[in-house]
Amino acid sequence: MLSLSKPFLHWMVLPTLLVLLAIIGYPVVSTVYLSFFGYNLLDFTPPEYLGLGNFKDMANDRIFWISLKNTLYYTGGTVLVSMLIGTAVALLLENLKGPVWSCVRAFVVSPWAVPFVVVAFLFRFMYMQNGGIVNDILLDLGVITNPVSWLNRADISLGAIIVANIWATTPFFFLLVSSALSGIPDAVLESARVDRAGLWSTIFHIKLPFLRNPLVVGSLLMVISNFNDFAKVWVMTQGGPGYATTTLVVYVYRMAFERFEIGYASALGLIWLLLLLLVSVFYIRLLWNRQND
Amino acid sequence: MTDRSHHIGGNRSAARRILGKTFQYAFIAIALFWTIAPIYWMLSTSLKTELEATRLDPSLVPENVTLDNYVRLFQGDLPFISFFVNSVITCFLAAIVSVVIAVPAAYALSRRNFRTAEQTGYLVLVVRMFPMIVLLAPLYLVLLNTGLLDTMFGLILGYTTFGLPFAVWMLKGFIDAVPVEIEEAARVDGYRQWEILLKIIVPLIYPGLVTTGIFVLMEAWNNLIYPLTFITSIEKQSLPAALVLTFTGQFKTDWGGMMAASAITTLPLMIAFFAVQRSMVRGLTAGSVTGT
Repeated sequence: MLSLSKPFLHWMVLPTLLVLLAIIGYPVVSTVYLSFFGYNLLDFTPPEYLGLGNFKDMANDRIFWISLKNTLYYTGGTVLVSMLIGTAVALLLENLKGPVWSCVRAFVVSPWAVPFVVVAFLFRFMYMQNGGIVNDILLDLGVITNPVSWLNRADISLGAIIVANIWATTPFFFLLVSSALSGIPDAVLESARVDRAGLWSTIFHIKLPFLRNPLVVGSLLMVISNFNDFAKVWVMTQGGPGYATTTLVVYVYRMAFERFEIGYASALGLIWLLLLLLVSVFYIRLLWNRQND
Repeated sequence: MTDRSHHIGGNRSAARRILGKTFQYAFIAIALFWTIAPIYWMLSTSLKTELEATRLDPSLVPENVTLDNYVRLFQGDLPFISFFVNSVITCFLAAIVSVVIAVPAAYALSRRNFRTAEQTGYLVLVVRMFPMIVLLAPLYLVLLNTGLLDTMFGLILGYTTFGLPFAVWMLKGFIDAVPVEIEEAARVDGYRQWEILLKIIVPLIYPGLVTTGIFVLMEAWNNLIYPLTFITSIEKQSLPAALVLTFTGQFKTDWGGMMAASAITTLPLMIAFFAVQRSMVRGLTAGSVTGT
Protein backbone atom coordinates (compact mmCIF):
# COMPACT_ATOMS: atom_id res chain seq x y z
CA MET A 1 0.00 0.00 0.00
CA LEU A 2 1.15 3.46 -0.83
CA SER A 3 2.25 5.32 2.23
CA LEU A 4 1.04 8.86 2.02
CA SER A 5 1.64 10.86 5.14
CA LYS A 6 -1.51 11.61 7.07
CA PRO A 7 -0.91 15.33 7.61
CA PHE A 8 -0.57 15.77 3.86
CA LEU A 9 -3.91 14.10 3.19
CA HIS A 10 -5.52 16.09 5.96
CA TRP A 11 -4.44 19.31 4.30
CA MET A 12 -5.87 18.13 1.01
CA VAL A 13 -9.33 17.68 2.48
CA LEU A 14 -9.23 21.03 4.19
CA PRO A 15 -10.30 23.39 1.35
CA THR A 16 -13.38 21.29 0.55
CA LEU A 17 -14.26 21.00 4.21
CA LEU A 18 -13.98 24.74 4.78
CA VAL A 19 -16.05 25.64 1.74
CA LEU A 20 -18.72 23.07 2.58
CA LEU A 21 -18.81 24.36 6.13
CA ALA A 22 -19.34 27.92 4.93
CA ILE A 23 -21.87 27.40 2.17
CA ILE A 24 -23.71 24.35 3.44
CA GLY A 25 -22.92 23.81 7.10
CA TYR A 26 -23.85 27.30 8.14
CA PRO A 27 -27.09 27.48 6.12
CA VAL A 28 -28.21 24.10 7.46
CA VAL A 29 -27.56 25.08 11.06
CA SER A 30 -29.43 28.31 10.52
CA THR A 31 -32.32 26.44 8.88
CA VAL A 32 -32.62 24.26 11.95
CA TYR A 33 -32.36 27.34 14.16
CA LEU A 34 -34.86 29.43 12.20
CA SER A 35 -37.37 26.61 12.02
CA PHE A 36 -38.17 27.25 15.70
CA PHE A 37 -38.86 30.92 15.05
CA GLY A 38 -41.49 33.08 13.52
CA TYR A 39 -39.53 35.31 11.20
CA ASN A 40 -40.99 37.41 8.43
CA LEU A 41 -38.53 39.54 6.49
CA LEU A 42 -41.22 42.12 5.78
CA ASP A 43 -41.97 42.72 9.48
CA PHE A 44 -38.55 44.18 10.18
CA THR A 45 -38.73 42.69 13.66
CA PRO A 46 -36.28 40.19 15.09
CA PRO A 47 -37.21 36.50 14.94
CA GLU A 48 -39.73 35.46 17.57
CA TYR A 49 -39.26 32.12 19.33
CA LEU A 50 -42.18 29.76 18.71
CA GLY A 51 -40.84 26.45 19.96
CA LEU A 52 -42.49 23.74 17.94
CA GLY A 53 -45.14 26.16 16.67
CA ASN A 54 -44.09 25.98 13.03
CA PHE A 55 -44.23 22.20 13.08
CA LYS A 56 -47.68 22.20 14.66
CA ASP A 57 -48.87 24.61 11.99
CA MET A 58 -47.42 22.33 9.39
CA ALA A 59 -49.41 19.34 10.67
CA ASN A 60 -52.59 21.34 10.12
CA ASP A 61 -51.43 22.92 6.89
CA ARG A 62 -53.55 21.39 4.14
CA ILE A 63 -51.32 22.80 1.42
CA PHE A 64 -48.25 21.24 2.98
CA TRP A 65 -49.84 17.80 2.79
CA ILE A 66 -51.04 18.41 -0.77
CA SER A 67 -47.58 19.49 -1.85
CA LEU A 68 -46.02 16.50 -0.12
CA LYS A 69 -48.38 14.18 -1.98
CA ASN A 70 -47.72 15.97 -5.28
CA THR A 71 -43.97 15.69 -4.72
CA LEU A 72 -44.25 11.95 -4.13
CA TYR A 73 -46.37 11.47 -7.28
CA TYR A 74 -44.08 13.68 -9.31
CA THR A 75 -40.88 11.98 -8.17
CA GLY A 76 -42.21 8.44 -8.03
CA GLY A 77 -44.07 8.61 -11.33
CA THR A 78 -41.17 10.16 -13.17
CA VAL A 79 -38.47 7.87 -11.83
CA LEU A 80 -40.46 4.65 -12.23
CA VAL A 81 -41.67 5.26 -15.75
CA SER A 82 -38.40 6.71 -17.03
CA MET A 83 -36.53 3.78 -15.56
CA LEU A 84 -38.83 1.30 -17.31
CA ILE A 85 -38.70 3.04 -20.68
CA GLY A 86 -34.98 3.75 -20.45
CA THR A 87 -34.18 0.14 -19.56
CA ALA A 88 -36.44 -1.23 -22.29
CA VAL A 89 -34.95 0.97 -25.00
CA ALA A 90 -31.41 0.18 -23.84
CA LEU A 91 -32.13 -3.56 -24.04
CA LEU A 92 -33.71 -3.17 -27.48
CA LEU A 93 -30.77 -1.20 -28.85
CA GLU A 94 -28.13 -3.29 -27.11
CA ASN A 95 -27.12 -5.55 -30.00
CA LEU A 96 -27.66 -3.14 -32.84
CA LYS A 97 -24.27 -1.96 -34.06
CA GLY A 98 -23.19 0.39 -36.80
CA PRO A 99 -23.22 4.11 -37.59
CA VAL A 100 -26.99 4.29 -38.13
CA TRP A 101 -27.67 2.87 -34.70
CA SER A 102 -25.06 5.11 -33.07
CA CYS A 103 -26.99 7.97 -34.57
CA VAL A 104 -30.26 6.58 -33.20
CA ARG A 105 -28.62 6.31 -29.77
CA ALA A 106 -27.47 9.93 -29.94
CA PHE A 107 -31.02 11.04 -30.73
CA VAL A 108 -32.50 8.97 -27.92
CA VAL A 109 -30.08 10.58 -25.47
CA SER A 110 -30.46 14.15 -26.68
CA PRO A 111 -33.35 15.28 -24.41
CA TRP A 112 -30.99 15.08 -21.48
CA ALA A 113 -29.04 18.01 -22.87
CA VAL A 114 -32.13 20.20 -23.04
CA PRO A 115 -32.16 22.64 -20.12
CA PHE A 116 -35.09 22.19 -17.71
CA VAL A 117 -36.44 25.64 -18.41
CA VAL A 118 -36.50 24.90 -22.12
CA VAL A 119 -38.22 21.55 -21.53
CA ALA A 120 -40.86 23.41 -19.58
CA PHE A 121 -41.45 26.13 -22.15
CA LEU A 122 -41.43 23.63 -24.98
CA PHE A 123 -44.08 21.42 -23.38
CA ARG A 124 -46.10 24.40 -22.30
CA PHE A 125 -46.15 25.44 -25.92
CA MET A 126 -47.05 21.96 -27.13
CA TYR A 127 -49.77 21.59 -24.47
CA MET A 128 -51.54 24.82 -25.44
CA GLN A 129 -55.27 24.42 -25.69
CA ASN A 130 -55.63 26.34 -28.90
CA GLY A 131 -53.00 25.76 -31.54
CA GLY A 132 -50.95 23.35 -29.41
CA ILE A 133 -49.48 20.48 -31.38
CA VAL A 134 -50.50 17.83 -28.83
CA ASN A 135 -54.17 18.69 -29.15
CA ASP A 136 -53.80 19.07 -32.91
CA ILE A 137 -52.41 15.55 -33.31
CA LEU A 138 -54.83 13.94 -30.85
CA LEU A 139 -57.79 15.64 -32.58
CA ASP A 140 -56.57 14.43 -35.97
CA LEU A 141 -56.21 10.91 -34.63
CA GLY A 142 -59.68 11.10 -33.12
CA VAL A 143 -58.41 10.33 -29.61
CA ILE A 144 -60.12 13.44 -28.26
CA THR A 145 -63.03 15.38 -29.68
CA ASN A 146 -62.37 18.75 -28.07
CA PRO A 147 -59.07 20.50 -27.38
CA VAL A 148 -57.92 19.71 -23.84
CA SER A 149 -56.48 22.38 -21.60
CA TRP A 150 -53.72 20.12 -20.32
CA LEU A 151 -52.10 22.44 -17.82
CA ASN A 152 -55.21 24.19 -16.55
CA ARG A 153 -57.24 21.22 -15.37
CA ALA A 154 -56.59 20.19 -11.79
CA ASP A 155 -57.14 16.50 -12.57
CA ILE A 156 -54.56 16.18 -15.34
CA SER A 157 -52.06 19.02 -14.97
CA LEU A 158 -49.71 17.12 -12.67
CA GLY A 159 -49.80 14.16 -15.05
CA ALA A 160 -49.02 16.44 -17.97
CA ILE A 161 -45.97 17.83 -16.19
CA ILE A 162 -44.84 14.32 -15.26
CA VAL A 163 -44.99 13.32 -18.92
CA ALA A 164 -42.73 16.25 -19.82
CA ASN A 165 -40.42 15.27 -16.99
CA ILE A 166 -40.30 11.65 -18.14
CA TRP A 167 -39.25 12.91 -21.55
CA ALA A 168 -36.33 14.72 -19.93
CA THR A 169 -35.34 11.95 -17.50
CA THR A 170 -35.53 8.79 -19.63
CA PRO A 171 -32.19 9.41 -21.42
CA PHE A 172 -30.37 9.23 -18.11
CA PHE A 173 -31.63 5.71 -17.46
CA PHE A 174 -31.03 4.75 -21.06
CA LEU A 175 -27.38 5.82 -20.82
CA LEU A 176 -26.98 4.21 -17.43
CA VAL A 177 -28.40 0.85 -18.48
CA SER A 178 -26.56 0.89 -21.80
CA SER A 179 -23.24 1.38 -20.08
CA ALA A 180 -24.06 -1.26 -17.47
CA LEU A 181 -25.04 -3.73 -20.19
CA SER A 182 -21.76 -3.23 -22.00
CA GLY A 183 -20.03 -4.06 -18.72
CA ILE A 184 -21.49 -7.58 -18.53
CA PRO A 185 -18.63 -10.00 -19.18
CA ASP A 186 -18.93 -11.76 -22.53
CA ALA A 187 -18.29 -15.11 -20.88
CA VAL A 188 -21.50 -14.78 -18.89
CA LEU A 189 -23.59 -14.08 -21.97
CA GLU A 190 -21.79 -16.81 -23.88
CA SER A 191 -22.60 -19.42 -21.27
CA ALA A 192 -26.23 -18.34 -21.37
CA ARG A 193 -26.17 -18.90 -25.09
CA VAL A 194 -24.61 -22.34 -24.69
CA ASP A 195 -27.30 -23.21 -22.16
CA ARG A 196 -29.87 -22.14 -24.76
CA ALA A 197 -31.40 -19.73 -22.30
CA GLY A 198 -34.38 -17.96 -23.88
CA LEU A 199 -34.57 -14.24 -24.51
CA TRP A 200 -36.61 -13.48 -21.41
CA SER A 201 -34.71 -15.70 -19.06
CA THR A 202 -31.46 -14.14 -20.32
CA ILE A 203 -32.83 -10.71 -19.56
CA PHE A 204 -34.29 -11.57 -16.17
CA HIS A 205 -31.71 -13.98 -14.81
CA ILE A 206 -28.50 -12.79 -16.43
CA LYS A 207 -28.83 -9.14 -17.32
CA LEU A 208 -31.07 -7.66 -14.66
CA PRO A 209 -28.85 -8.75 -11.75
CA PHE A 210 -26.03 -6.81 -13.40
CA LEU A 211 -28.29 -3.80 -13.70
CA ARG A 212 -29.44 -3.81 -10.11
CA ASN A 213 -26.76 -1.67 -8.51
CA PRO A 214 -26.53 0.90 -11.28
CA LEU A 215 -30.32 1.24 -11.21
CA VAL A 216 -30.38 1.65 -7.44
CA VAL A 217 -27.76 4.40 -7.53
CA GLY A 218 -29.22 5.99 -10.64
CA SER A 219 -32.74 6.08 -9.30
CA LEU A 220 -31.51 7.56 -6.02
CA LEU A 221 -29.82 10.35 -7.98
CA MET A 222 -33.00 10.96 -9.94
CA VAL A 223 -35.21 10.84 -6.85
CA ILE A 224 -33.06 13.55 -5.31
CA SER A 225 -32.94 15.63 -8.45
CA ASN A 226 -36.72 15.39 -8.94
CA PHE A 227 -37.39 16.22 -5.31
CA ASN A 228 -35.46 19.40 -6.01
CA ASP A 229 -36.91 20.12 -9.40
CA PHE A 230 -38.28 23.61 -9.49
CA ALA A 231 -37.93 24.84 -13.06
CA LYS A 232 -40.39 22.56 -14.83
CA VAL A 233 -43.29 23.02 -12.45
CA TRP A 234 -42.68 26.70 -11.99
CA VAL A 235 -42.52 27.49 -15.70
CA MET A 236 -45.44 25.29 -16.72
CA THR A 237 -48.01 26.01 -14.03
CA GLN A 238 -46.44 27.94 -11.14
CA GLY A 239 -48.00 25.24 -8.96
CA GLY A 240 -51.56 25.81 -10.18
CA PRO A 241 -54.37 25.47 -10.96
CA GLY A 242 -55.16 25.95 -7.29
CA TYR A 243 -52.53 23.79 -5.64
CA ALA A 244 -52.88 20.88 -8.05
CA THR A 245 -49.22 20.93 -9.11
CA THR A 246 -47.65 22.60 -6.08
CA THR A 247 -44.68 20.49 -5.07
CA LEU A 248 -42.66 21.05 -1.92
CA VAL A 249 -40.04 23.14 -3.72
CA VAL A 250 -42.67 25.42 -5.16
CA TYR A 251 -44.37 25.72 -1.78
CA VAL A 252 -41.16 26.54 0.06
CA TYR A 253 -40.21 29.02 -2.63
CA ARG A 254 -43.56 30.78 -2.38
CA MET A 255 -43.40 30.77 1.41
CA ALA A 256 -39.89 32.21 1.49
CA PHE A 257 -39.86 34.61 -1.44
CA GLU A 258 -43.43 35.69 -1.97
CA ARG A 259 -44.60 35.81 1.63
CA PHE A 260 -41.10 36.10 3.16
CA GLU A 261 -42.06 33.70 5.97
CA ILE A 262 -38.48 32.58 6.47
CA GLY A 263 -39.19 30.77 9.74
CA TYR A 264 -41.98 28.61 8.38
CA ALA A 265 -40.10 28.00 5.15
CA SER A 266 -37.12 26.80 7.18
CA ALA A 267 -39.33 24.39 9.11
CA LEU A 268 -40.65 23.02 5.80
CA GLY A 269 -37.09 22.66 4.58
CA LEU A 270 -36.04 20.80 7.70
CA ILE A 271 -38.84 18.25 7.40
CA TRP A 272 -37.91 17.80 3.81
CA LEU A 273 -34.27 17.26 4.66
CA LEU A 274 -35.26 14.52 7.10
CA LEU A 275 -37.44 12.92 4.43
CA LEU A 276 -34.63 12.83 1.90
CA LEU A 277 -32.21 11.47 4.47
CA LEU A 278 -34.68 8.69 5.15
CA VAL A 279 -34.87 7.86 1.45
CA SER A 280 -31.08 7.95 1.20
CA VAL A 281 -30.62 5.61 4.17
CA PHE A 282 -33.09 3.20 2.60
CA TYR A 283 -31.14 3.25 -0.65
CA ILE A 284 -27.74 2.90 0.96
CA ARG A 285 -29.01 -0.13 2.87
CA LEU A 286 -30.20 -1.62 -0.40
CA LEU A 287 -26.69 -1.25 -1.77
CA TRP A 288 -24.98 -2.58 1.33
CA ASN A 289 -27.20 -5.63 1.52
CA ARG A 290 -26.15 -6.40 -1.97
CA GLN A 291 -22.48 -6.03 -1.22
CA ASN A 292 -22.71 -8.30 1.79
CA ASP A 293 -24.33 -11.10 -0.19
CA MET B 1 -27.08 -13.59 -39.36
CA THR B 2 -28.70 -13.14 -42.79
CA ASP B 3 -28.02 -16.73 -43.77
CA ARG B 4 -30.99 -18.63 -42.46
CA SER B 5 -31.32 -21.13 -45.34
CA HIS B 6 -30.53 -24.07 -43.05
CA HIS B 7 -33.55 -23.31 -40.89
CA ILE B 8 -35.82 -25.13 -43.30
CA GLY B 9 -37.75 -27.03 -40.68
CA GLY B 10 -37.98 -24.03 -38.40
CA ASN B 11 -40.74 -22.07 -40.10
CA ARG B 12 -42.43 -21.30 -36.84
CA SER B 13 -39.29 -20.11 -35.09
CA ALA B 14 -38.36 -18.03 -38.14
CA ALA B 15 -41.78 -16.44 -38.05
CA ARG B 16 -41.35 -15.75 -34.39
CA ARG B 17 -37.98 -14.19 -34.98
CA ILE B 18 -39.40 -11.91 -37.68
CA LEU B 19 -42.25 -10.95 -35.38
CA GLY B 20 -39.74 -10.22 -32.64
CA LYS B 21 -37.63 -8.06 -34.97
CA THR B 22 -40.69 -6.18 -36.14
CA PHE B 23 -41.71 -5.56 -32.58
CA GLN B 24 -38.18 -4.43 -31.71
CA TYR B 25 -37.96 -1.95 -34.60
CA ALA B 26 -41.47 -0.67 -33.99
CA PHE B 27 -40.69 0.02 -30.37
CA ILE B 28 -37.44 1.76 -31.27
CA ALA B 29 -39.29 3.86 -33.86
CA ILE B 30 -41.80 4.97 -31.23
CA ALA B 31 -39.03 5.80 -28.78
CA LEU B 32 -37.22 7.75 -31.45
CA PHE B 33 -40.34 9.72 -32.36
CA TRP B 34 -40.99 10.43 -28.70
CA THR B 35 -37.53 11.90 -28.14
CA ILE B 36 -37.12 13.76 -31.41
CA ALA B 37 -40.60 15.21 -31.94
CA PRO B 38 -40.42 17.88 -29.22
CA ILE B 39 -36.93 18.98 -30.29
CA TYR B 40 -38.05 19.09 -33.90
CA TRP B 41 -41.03 21.16 -32.86
CA MET B 42 -38.82 23.65 -31.04
CA LEU B 43 -36.53 24.09 -34.04
CA SER B 44 -39.25 24.21 -36.65
CA THR B 45 -41.30 26.71 -34.65
CA SER B 46 -38.25 28.90 -34.21
CA LEU B 47 -37.93 29.08 -38.00
CA LYS B 48 -41.53 30.14 -38.57
CA THR B 49 -42.85 33.65 -38.94
CA GLU B 50 -44.50 35.12 -35.87
CA LEU B 51 -47.91 34.64 -37.41
CA GLU B 52 -47.36 31.06 -38.50
CA ALA B 53 -45.88 30.04 -35.13
CA THR B 54 -49.09 30.78 -33.25
CA ARG B 55 -51.56 29.65 -35.87
CA LEU B 56 -54.55 27.70 -34.56
CA ASP B 57 -53.92 24.92 -37.04
CA PRO B 58 -50.14 24.48 -36.73
CA SER B 59 -48.11 23.61 -39.81
CA LEU B 60 -45.87 20.59 -39.36
CA VAL B 61 -43.19 22.02 -41.64
CA PRO B 62 -42.49 25.77 -41.68
CA GLU B 63 -44.07 27.24 -44.79
CA ASN B 64 -41.83 30.28 -44.93
CA VAL B 65 -38.50 29.45 -43.34
CA THR B 66 -37.05 32.55 -41.73
CA LEU B 67 -34.26 33.38 -39.29
CA ASP B 68 -36.22 36.42 -38.22
CA ASN B 69 -36.82 35.09 -34.69
CA TYR B 70 -33.09 34.66 -34.08
CA VAL B 71 -32.26 38.07 -35.52
CA ARG B 72 -34.88 39.72 -33.34
CA LEU B 73 -33.39 38.10 -30.23
CA PHE B 74 -30.15 39.92 -30.72
CA GLN B 75 -31.64 43.17 -31.94
CA GLY B 76 -34.62 43.45 -29.59
CA ASP B 77 -34.91 45.58 -26.45
CA LEU B 78 -33.79 42.76 -24.22
CA PRO B 79 -30.08 42.35 -23.49
CA PHE B 80 -30.25 38.75 -24.68
CA ILE B 81 -26.52 38.62 -25.35
CA SER B 82 -25.70 39.71 -21.82
CA PHE B 83 -28.05 37.04 -20.39
CA PHE B 84 -26.11 34.53 -22.41
CA VAL B 85 -22.75 35.91 -21.31
CA ASN B 86 -23.87 36.06 -17.67
CA SER B 87 -24.82 32.39 -17.77
CA VAL B 88 -21.62 31.35 -19.51
CA ILE B 89 -19.41 33.26 -17.04
CA THR B 90 -21.13 32.17 -13.84
CA CYS B 91 -21.52 28.54 -14.88
CA PHE B 92 -17.94 28.27 -16.14
CA LEU B 93 -16.50 29.82 -13.02
CA ALA B 94 -18.68 27.64 -10.81
CA ALA B 95 -17.41 24.57 -12.67
CA ILE B 96 -13.77 25.61 -12.45
CA VAL B 97 -13.95 26.62 -8.78
CA SER B 98 -15.72 23.37 -7.87
CA VAL B 99 -13.24 21.18 -9.71
CA VAL B 100 -10.15 22.98 -8.43
CA ILE B 101 -11.26 22.77 -4.81
CA ALA B 102 -12.46 19.21 -5.26
CA VAL B 103 -9.31 17.66 -6.78
CA PRO B 104 -7.18 17.45 -3.60
CA ALA B 105 -10.14 16.30 -1.53
CA ALA B 106 -11.09 13.65 -4.06
CA TYR B 107 -7.48 12.46 -4.11
CA ALA B 108 -7.31 12.19 -0.35
CA LEU B 109 -10.67 10.39 -0.23
CA SER B 110 -9.62 8.00 -2.94
CA ARG B 111 -6.36 7.04 -1.21
CA ARG B 112 -7.89 7.15 2.21
CA ASN B 113 -6.96 5.10 5.13
CA PHE B 114 -7.51 7.51 7.93
CA ARG B 115 -10.59 8.58 9.79
CA THR B 116 -10.98 12.21 8.76
CA ALA B 117 -11.08 11.15 5.13
CA GLU B 118 -13.69 8.54 5.81
CA GLN B 119 -15.87 11.00 7.69
CA THR B 120 -15.40 13.62 5.01
CA GLY B 121 -16.44 11.02 2.48
CA TYR B 122 -19.72 10.39 4.26
CA LEU B 123 -20.22 14.11 4.72
CA VAL B 124 -19.78 14.74 1.01
CA LEU B 125 -22.16 11.90 0.22
CA VAL B 126 -24.81 13.27 2.55
CA VAL B 127 -24.33 16.79 1.23
CA ARG B 128 -24.73 15.50 -2.29
CA MET B 129 -28.20 14.36 -1.34
CA PHE B 130 -29.13 17.73 0.04
CA PRO B 131 -32.28 19.41 -1.09
CA MET B 132 -31.11 22.71 -2.49
CA ILE B 133 -34.20 24.45 -1.27
CA VAL B 134 -33.17 23.90 2.33
CA LEU B 135 -30.19 26.13 1.72
CA LEU B 136 -32.14 28.71 -0.20
CA ALA B 137 -33.49 30.94 2.56
CA PRO B 138 -30.39 30.93 4.81
CA LEU B 139 -28.08 31.40 1.84
CA TYR B 140 -30.23 34.32 0.75
CA LEU B 141 -29.87 35.86 4.20
CA VAL B 142 -26.10 35.35 4.14
CA LEU B 143 -25.80 37.02 0.76
CA LEU B 144 -28.12 39.80 1.88
CA ASN B 145 -26.05 40.49 5.00
CA THR B 146 -22.71 40.36 3.21
CA GLY B 147 -23.80 42.57 0.35
CA LEU B 148 -23.34 39.73 -2.13
CA LEU B 149 -26.96 39.63 -3.18
CA ASP B 150 -27.37 40.51 -6.84
CA THR B 151 -23.71 39.82 -7.63
CA MET B 152 -22.22 37.17 -9.88
CA PHE B 153 -19.98 36.09 -7.02
CA GLY B 154 -23.02 35.33 -4.88
CA LEU B 155 -24.56 33.29 -7.67
CA ILE B 156 -21.33 31.33 -8.20
CA LEU B 157 -21.27 30.63 -4.48
CA GLY B 158 -24.80 29.28 -4.82
CA TYR B 159 -23.86 27.02 -7.71
CA THR B 160 -20.87 25.76 -5.74
CA THR B 161 -23.18 24.35 -3.05
CA PHE B 162 -24.16 21.55 -5.39
CA GLY B 163 -21.14 21.73 -7.71
CA LEU B 164 -18.49 20.98 -5.11
CA PRO B 165 -19.98 17.81 -3.55
CA PHE B 166 -20.75 16.48 -7.02
CA ALA B 167 -17.23 17.24 -8.17
CA VAL B 168 -15.60 15.55 -5.17
CA TRP B 169 -17.65 12.41 -5.66
CA MET B 170 -17.18 12.18 -9.41
CA LEU B 171 -13.45 12.90 -9.27
CA LYS B 172 -12.96 10.32 -6.55
CA GLY B 173 -14.38 7.76 -8.96
CA PHE B 174 -11.93 8.78 -11.66
CA ILE B 175 -8.94 8.79 -9.29
CA ASP B 176 -9.94 5.36 -7.94
CA ALA B 177 -9.29 4.03 -11.43
CA VAL B 178 -5.65 5.18 -11.36
CA PRO B 179 -3.43 2.31 -10.13
CA VAL B 180 -1.52 3.08 -6.96
CA GLU B 181 1.59 1.48 -8.48
CA ILE B 182 2.05 4.47 -10.76
CA GLU B 183 2.32 6.70 -7.72
CA GLU B 184 4.74 4.36 -6.03
CA ALA B 185 6.96 4.41 -9.10
CA ALA B 186 6.87 8.20 -9.10
CA ARG B 187 7.81 8.22 -5.45
CA VAL B 188 10.83 6.02 -6.15
CA ASP B 189 11.78 8.53 -8.82
CA GLY B 190 11.88 11.19 -6.12
CA TYR B 191 8.62 13.01 -6.73
CA ARG B 192 7.20 14.76 -3.73
CA GLN B 193 3.59 14.27 -2.64
CA TRP B 194 2.17 17.41 -4.18
CA GLU B 195 4.16 16.73 -7.33
CA ILE B 196 2.60 13.30 -7.61
CA LEU B 197 -0.84 14.85 -7.47
CA LEU B 198 -0.15 17.70 -9.87
CA LYS B 199 2.22 16.05 -12.33
CA ILE B 200 1.04 12.42 -12.30
CA ILE B 201 -2.58 12.19 -11.18
CA VAL B 202 -4.01 15.36 -12.69
CA PRO B 203 -2.75 14.68 -16.24
CA LEU B 204 -3.95 11.08 -15.97
CA ILE B 205 -7.48 12.02 -14.98
CA TYR B 206 -7.67 14.98 -17.34
CA PRO B 207 -10.73 13.59 -19.20
CA GLY B 208 -12.36 13.06 -15.82
CA LEU B 209 -11.68 16.68 -14.89
CA VAL B 210 -13.35 17.87 -18.07
CA THR B 211 -16.31 15.54 -17.60
CA THR B 212 -16.76 16.64 -14.01
CA GLY B 213 -16.45 20.30 -14.95
CA ILE B 214 -19.01 19.96 -17.71
CA PHE B 215 -21.36 18.14 -15.40
CA VAL B 216 -21.22 20.96 -12.86
CA LEU B 217 -21.62 23.43 -15.69
CA MET B 218 -24.74 21.65 -16.93
CA GLU B 219 -26.27 21.54 -13.48
CA ALA B 220 -25.58 25.24 -13.03
CA TRP B 221 -26.92 26.07 -16.47
CA ASN B 222 -30.08 24.15 -15.61
CA ASN B 223 -30.54 25.83 -12.27
CA LEU B 224 -33.38 28.29 -12.10
CA ILE B 225 -34.11 28.85 -8.45
CA TYR B 226 -30.76 30.35 -7.41
CA PRO B 227 -30.53 33.04 -10.10
CA LEU B 228 -34.21 33.79 -9.60
CA THR B 229 -33.68 34.50 -5.91
CA PHE B 230 -30.08 35.72 -5.71
CA ILE B 231 -30.10 38.08 -8.69
CA THR B 232 -32.48 40.99 -8.47
CA SER B 233 -31.57 43.24 -11.38
CA ILE B 234 -32.56 42.00 -14.80
CA GLU B 235 -29.34 42.89 -16.61
CA LYS B 236 -27.35 40.56 -14.36
CA GLN B 237 -29.80 37.70 -14.80
CA SER B 238 -28.90 34.22 -16.06
CA LEU B 239 -30.34 33.00 -19.34
CA PRO B 240 -32.94 30.52 -17.99
CA ALA B 241 -34.14 32.93 -15.32
CA ALA B 242 -34.31 35.75 -17.86
CA LEU B 243 -36.46 33.58 -20.12
CA VAL B 244 -38.87 32.99 -17.27
CA LEU B 245 -38.94 36.63 -16.18
CA THR B 246 -39.36 38.10 -19.64
CA PHE B 247 -41.90 35.64 -20.90
CA THR B 248 -44.59 37.51 -19.06
CA GLY B 249 -43.56 40.60 -21.00
CA GLN B 250 -41.95 40.57 -24.40
CA PHE B 251 -42.46 36.95 -25.35
CA LYS B 252 -46.00 36.62 -24.02
CA THR B 253 -47.50 35.25 -27.21
CA ASP B 254 -44.39 35.27 -29.36
CA TRP B 255 -43.78 31.53 -29.36
CA GLY B 256 -41.53 31.75 -32.41
CA GLY B 257 -39.20 34.09 -30.53
CA MET B 258 -39.50 31.97 -27.42
CA MET B 259 -38.52 28.82 -29.26
CA ALA B 260 -35.57 30.59 -30.89
CA ALA B 261 -34.43 31.71 -27.44
CA SER B 262 -34.91 28.14 -26.19
CA ALA B 263 -32.83 26.74 -29.02
CA ILE B 264 -30.01 29.17 -28.22
CA THR B 265 -30.24 28.24 -24.54
CA THR B 266 -30.02 24.55 -25.43
CA LEU B 267 -27.13 24.75 -27.88
CA PRO B 268 -24.18 25.14 -25.47
CA LEU B 269 -25.50 22.35 -23.28
CA MET B 270 -26.00 20.05 -26.27
CA ILE B 271 -22.40 20.58 -27.40
CA ALA B 272 -20.97 20.12 -23.92
CA PHE B 273 -23.09 17.08 -23.32
CA PHE B 274 -22.18 15.17 -26.43
CA ALA B 275 -18.52 15.89 -25.80
CA VAL B 276 -18.56 13.90 -22.58
CA GLN B 277 -21.70 11.76 -22.43
CA ARG B 278 -19.90 8.42 -22.25
CA SER B 279 -17.68 9.09 -19.28
CA MET B 280 -20.43 11.06 -17.59
CA VAL B 281 -22.52 8.08 -16.59
CA ARG B 282 -19.44 6.36 -15.26
CA GLY B 283 -18.61 9.38 -13.14
CA LEU B 284 -22.15 9.85 -11.91
CA THR B 285 -22.59 6.38 -10.61
CA ALA B 286 -18.97 6.00 -9.58
CA GLY B 287 -18.19 2.45 -8.63
CA SER B 288 -21.69 1.07 -8.85
CA VAL B 289 -21.57 0.12 -12.52
CA THR B 290 -19.76 -3.13 -13.01
CA GLY B 291 -16.68 -2.89 -15.11
CA THR B 292 -15.75 0.61 -14.05
